[in-house]
Amino acid sequence: MSRKAPHVRYGLPEVLITVFLVVLALTVILPLVLPFLFVFKTQLEFAYHPWSLPKEIRWSNFAAAWKAVRIDQGLLNTLIVSLGAIACTIPPAALAGYVSARYRSKVTELLFYAILVGYFVPAQMVLVPLYRMEVTFKLADTLHGLFLPMAAFGIPFWTLIYRSFFRGLPAELMEAARIDGAGHGSTFFRIMLPLANPATVLAILLVFVGAWSDYLLSLVLLTNQNNFTMQLRVASFLNSYGTDRMPKYAAAAIISAAPTVILYIIGHRWVIKGTIAGAVKE
Amino acid sequence: MKLRGNGRRIHDPGRGLFIFLCMIPAFAFLAIFLYYPIEETFRFSLTRTAGLGEEVYVGLDNYLKLFANEEFRAGLLHVFTWAFWSIVIQLPLAFLIAFSLSYYVNRFTKPLKAIFYLSNVLPSAITAMLGKFIFAPKYGIVASIAGALHWDWLASIDFLGNPDLAFWAVFAIATWAYTGFPIIYLMARIEQIPKEIREAAELDGASAWRYAWHVVLPDLGYPFRILAVLCTVGSLKLFDLPNMMTTGGPGNATVTLGITLYRHGFVNWNYGKAAAIGVIIFLLSLVFTILQLSLGRKKGESL
Repeated sequence: MSRKAPHVRYGLPEVLITVFLVVLALTVILPLVLPFLFVFKTQLEFAYHPWSLPKEIRWSNFAAAWKAVRIDQGLLNTLIVSLGAIACTIPPAALAGYVSARYRSKVTELLFYAILVGYFVPAQMVLVPLYRMEVTFKLADTLHGLFLPMAAFGIPFWTLIYRSFFRGLPAELMEAARIDGAGHGSTFFRIMLPLANPATVLAILLVFVGAWSDYLLSLVLLTNQNNFTMQLRVASFLNSYGTDRMPKYAAAAIISAAPTVILYIIGHRWVIKGTIAGAVKE
Repeated sequence: MKLRGNGRRIHDPGRGLFIFLCMIPAFAFLAIFLYYPIEETFRFSLTRTAGLGEEVYVGLDNYLKLFANEEFRAGLLHVFTWAFWSIVIQLPLAFLIAFSLSYYVNRFTKPLKAIFYLSNVLPSAITAMLGKFIFAPKYGIVASIAGALHWDWLASIDFLGNPDLAFWAVFAIATWAYTGFPIIYLMARIEQIPKEIREAAELDGASAWRYAWHVVLPDLGYPFRILAVLCTVGSLKLFDLPNMMTTGGPGNATVTLGITLYRHGFVNWNYGKAAAIGVIIFLLSLVFTILQLSLGRKKGESL
C-alpha cells in the first residue's frame, strides 16, 4: 500500500507544485539579492551595466554611504531606540500579564481589559497630541522620547502574550512556592519569570525587530538629522536621490536591513510562532 | 495558612499591594502615552488652533471640511479600494500557497515557509526602496526585462509616475511584502486539522483540490475573518509604503488616510483636522473589526 508511506516517492502533482512554490519563493528572495549586485559597482558602471555581475569587489560605496548618511550615528541611534523599547516594553508587560493571569479577580480582569484597549488603538490616532505633549515636556526630538511611546504601544500586545503564557504554567508551582513561604514578589522573580523565558526571548526578538524597523513614529517625533534612525536616513536618502545613486544607496540599505534579516534567519521559528500566537489569541 | 485555588489567599494584605505594584508600570506608560493622547485627539478634533496656539472650539467643523476636501476623499477611497483588493487578491493567494505547503510536506516545506515570511520582517524603508527600483523607468527591473524582450511599450512606462498605475504598483509591492503573514497564519490553522480527516478523505478518493475545497476551506472561516479584519485595519493605517514610494502622488493617486493625517498634522500644522482624521481612522477600524467578526459567524461559535 502506498497509502501508508505516501511521501517515499514524490507524485507528479507534488513535484509540479513544489517547483511552483520554489519559483514563487525565488521572487521573494531575488529583490533581496539585487542590492548586492549593485553595491560593488561605481556609479558609471551601474549606469551602463546595472545587471551584470560586478567586475571587482569594491567597498568604496560602503565607505561613501557611511559618510553621506552618517551610518555610524544612525546605527547607534537605532540601537539605543531598540534597546530602550525592549527595556520599557517587557518588564511592565510581564508584570501586568503575570498578575492578570495568576491573581484573577474582577478587578484584575478589568485592569487587563483596560490595557488591552491599547491594542486596538492605531498609533496614527494619537500622533498629534503625542507630538504636542512631547514638545511641552521636551521629549520631542530625543531618542527616549521615541522609545517611550513605542513601549506604550507595545505593552498591550505583550501583556496579552505574557498573560496567556503564565496561564499555561501549572498552578501547583506557584502554590508550592507560596506554601514554602516565598512572598508574592519572590515567587514571581525567582520561579515564575524564569519559567517564562521562551516568552521573554520572543518579546526581545520581536520588539527589537519592530523598533529597528519603525518609520512613522520616528518620522513624526525626530526632526534633528543627528537624531535620525537608520530607517529615516535610508528614507531621506531615497527621497533626495531617488534610485539614481543605487550603488551607494544599496550599501546603506544592506546595512540598515542586516540586523533584522540576520535575526530572522537565526530565530525565524520563534518569530513565526510568536506572530501567529499574537493573532490567534484575539 | 489557608489557600484558595489558584494561589489566592484569604487575609493576605500583601496581595492587593503586589497587584497594585505590578500594574503600575504598564498603566503609567499607557496613561501618559495612550489614554491621555486619545482623550486629547477627540478634544483637538473639535477645535481649531488660531493665532498663538489658542484653541477655538469649532464643533464638527473639522469633520465637515474634511469630507469636502478632495485629498481626504481620495484617501478614503484608496483605503477601501486597498482593503477590498487585499482581501480579494492576497488572501486567496495566501490560501493557495499555505494549502500547497501543508498538503505536500517534504524537505522544501520548512525553508519555503521561512522564506515566504521573510519579506514581512524587512523594514518598510527597504521594501519601499526595492519597490521604487523594481518600477523605476529605464533601469528598473520591469523596464530592464521589457527592454531585453524588446517590449518598448512596457519599458517606457513610468509606473510610479503614472496616476493610473501608481496605486497598483504600490499595491503589488505590498502584496509581495505582506502576503507572508496570511500564509503562515493559515498554515498554522490547516496543520490543526486532524490527520485522520485527510486520511479518510484520501481513502474516499478525494483529490487534493476537492479536499481543499470541501474540507479545509470550510474549516477556515474564523481565520479568514481575522485576516479580513487585519487587511481592513491595515489599510486604514497604511502609511509607510505609499509615503516612501510615491509620497501620495502623483497628484492624489496614492494618498491614504495615514498620509492625509501626516500632511494635515505635520506639514500644514493643522492639528484639528489631523486629529479628526485620527478619530475617523479609529472609528472606522472599530466598526469594521466588529462588523467583520460578527458577520458570517455561526450561531454558538465563540469568538
